Amino acid sequence: MGLDIAVLLSIGRHPASGRSRRAENDARALELALNLGGRIHAIHAGDPDEPALRDYLGMGLETLSVLRQPAECDVVPALVRHLTLIRPTLILTGSAAEQGPGSGMLPYLLARQLDLPLLPATAGLALNGGLLDALQALPRGRRRQLRADLPAVVTVDRAAPAARQSAYAQARRGAIDLIDMAAGPIIPADAREVAARPRPRRLKVMSAATAAERLRAATEMQAGRGKLMVDPPADEAARAILDYLVSEGILIGR
Amino acid sequence: MSGDKRPRIERRRVVSPPGTRPRRDPRAERQPLAAASAAQEPSTTGRIRRDPRAARGPAKPPAAMDQPAPKPAAQTIVVDDPACLILAVPDFEDGRLSSHDRDLLGAARMLADAGKGAVVALMPNAGKEDIATAGADRAIAADMSGYAPETKAALVLACIEALQPRHILFCETPAGGGDVGRRVAAALGEIPAPHVMRLSAGEAASRGNGGRSDYLQPPPRLLFVAAETADPPGEARREARALPVPKVAAVDLRIEDRGIAATDPNAVPLTEADFIVSAGNGVTDWPGFHEVAAALGAAEGGSRVVCDTGLLPRERQVGASGSLVEPRCYLAFGIAGAPQHLQGILRCERVLAVNTDLHAEMVKRADLAIIADAQSVMPALARLARDRRRGP
Repeated sequence: MGLDIAVLLSIGRHPASGRSRRAENDARALELALNLGGRIHAIHAGDPDEPALRDYLGMGLETLSVLRQPAECDVVPALVRHLTLIRPTLILTGSAAEQGPGSGMLPYLLARQLDLPLLPATAGLALNGGLLDALQALPRGRRRQLRADLPAVVTVDRAAPAARQSAYAQARRGAIDLIDMAAGPIIPADAREVAARPRPRRLKVMSAATAAERLRAATEMQAGRGKLMVDPPADEAARAILDYLVSEGILIGR
Repeated sequence: MSGDKRPRIERRRVVSPPGTRPRRDPRAERQPLAAASAAQEPSTTGRIRRDPRAARGPAKPPAAMDQPAPKPAAQTIVVDDPACLILAVPDFEDGRLSSHDRDLLGAARMLADAGKGAVVALMPNAGKEDIATAGADRAIAADMSGYAPETKAALVLACIEALQPRHILFCETPAGGGDVGRRVAAALGEIPAPHVMRLSAGEAASRGNGGRSDYLQPPPRLLFVAAETADPPGEARREARALPVPKVAAVDLRIEDRGIAATDPNAVPLTEADFIVSAGNGVTDWPGFHEVAAALGAAEGGSRVVCDTGLLPRERQVGASGSLVEPRCYLAFGIAGAPQHLQGILRCERVLAVNTDLHAEMVKRADLAIIADAQSVMPALARLARDRRRGP
């Protein structure tokens, strides 16, 4: 089947050591693409001499196209130009970059400029005839089924299956295909960058108007506003539990 | 020494000389009150006895200590002529405000108060929540059923066009507000502040660079706010005046929502689970327990005792030495509620307990507590849940 998958790859950074590596979500996107089969166009816009690009090649790629772009410039125009040339059926990418502001805007700008549907936070993909079936990752391990026409842009979330290991020999064998492109406009850096300050998790929200209420909230055990049933018949108890679960919307989709 | 030799101080009225200010006589002013009771009973010396009790007036009943002071009637805060508008777009997952949504409305409230403005909340018209107590001065209730990010983005764009808000706030959730917000940003061609971790009227701090840096800038128009960035708005009731739904441009819908997939609840880590059915020492009927968890589509959890005995795998343990879980609902069978276990379920929104001991800590914590044997309730509940699934 003539499936052309473009996977947009960026350079990640290890959170602890700060060394360059393959970006986690981009590697997951490549993993989904490798599992789908078809022709894969791995594309990176940036510096072709970055050694971390070899990590992607080690996942089983023959070639990786690099659109040469200087640092700090907008890569969207170059990517749009390249993607209109190769016309892929599917564009896969991670949800946000691991370096720089990482706004996660790039797939949205691409989808807008190429006029394609965008499926966010995807954890799994399957092809169904000419349609794309995607599993969207929701909080608390839930998954939503989505269907869209091809071509489409898909962003891949942390919930997607982990990427395979990078094989050293394959990484050495793979070729980097350099494409020269006019540099995009420089993105103005308005924001001041400071080291991230860890934020403690909020423990409890006190919303009390008077001091007496605050004292009660601080000292009292957090008791349920609860209903209590003492020695009910089993059926009645089960009915009460089920009614509660239904009324609170817990059983939706179960 | 006899009494009549003693010099007496005459109490007489001092008449102020003419042309000066008349002097007040406070004693004379008090006289009528004291005189009423003292008049009948003059003292042996002929002096008028003071009666402080009568002077104070009739005794009041003591204030009731255990009765709370009457609450002032809840006042609705009205912002009539706002200097600016702040548009908040909560996720309204399942038609309810999550705690993240409330934090978002709190952030919007803070920006609005700083600019003497009003908060406009965009909500689904099938919303089950009272947006007026969540800090909204205005509300736009539109049709937002199902998952349709393209429609929602078009609706937000229409609201921005109609209201010209100073800021538009979205929850930074990958499949919710973060997605819709980025669609809006791409359509407007604006650079948003993503993943805002700290927010004030003058500065927004966006976490970026793989979580290693904060990017500080004056808040731009579009803000994607992380959870716990601001405290939720107070209890004060706001007006939530309904605004008309702006006319939305036609969108061509290219994403089809095919519903929530049935996933194996035990395949996801316990900390991520949405609904946990948990067993403690009071459970002896283990096939019955597994059956009820399967019938309800819930993940299985257990107390330390249960995992120590090997009745459930170790990764299913809830509590201080297991996982700290935060499901939407936690159903506990036969768990007494040791402090270490209650620590593990501190963040659960709703807790249900089935226990034989009326005085168990778990029963105190529960929103619905049933004093019964788990072995009798579990099969009945499994049967009812299966019937419900087979039914309409």
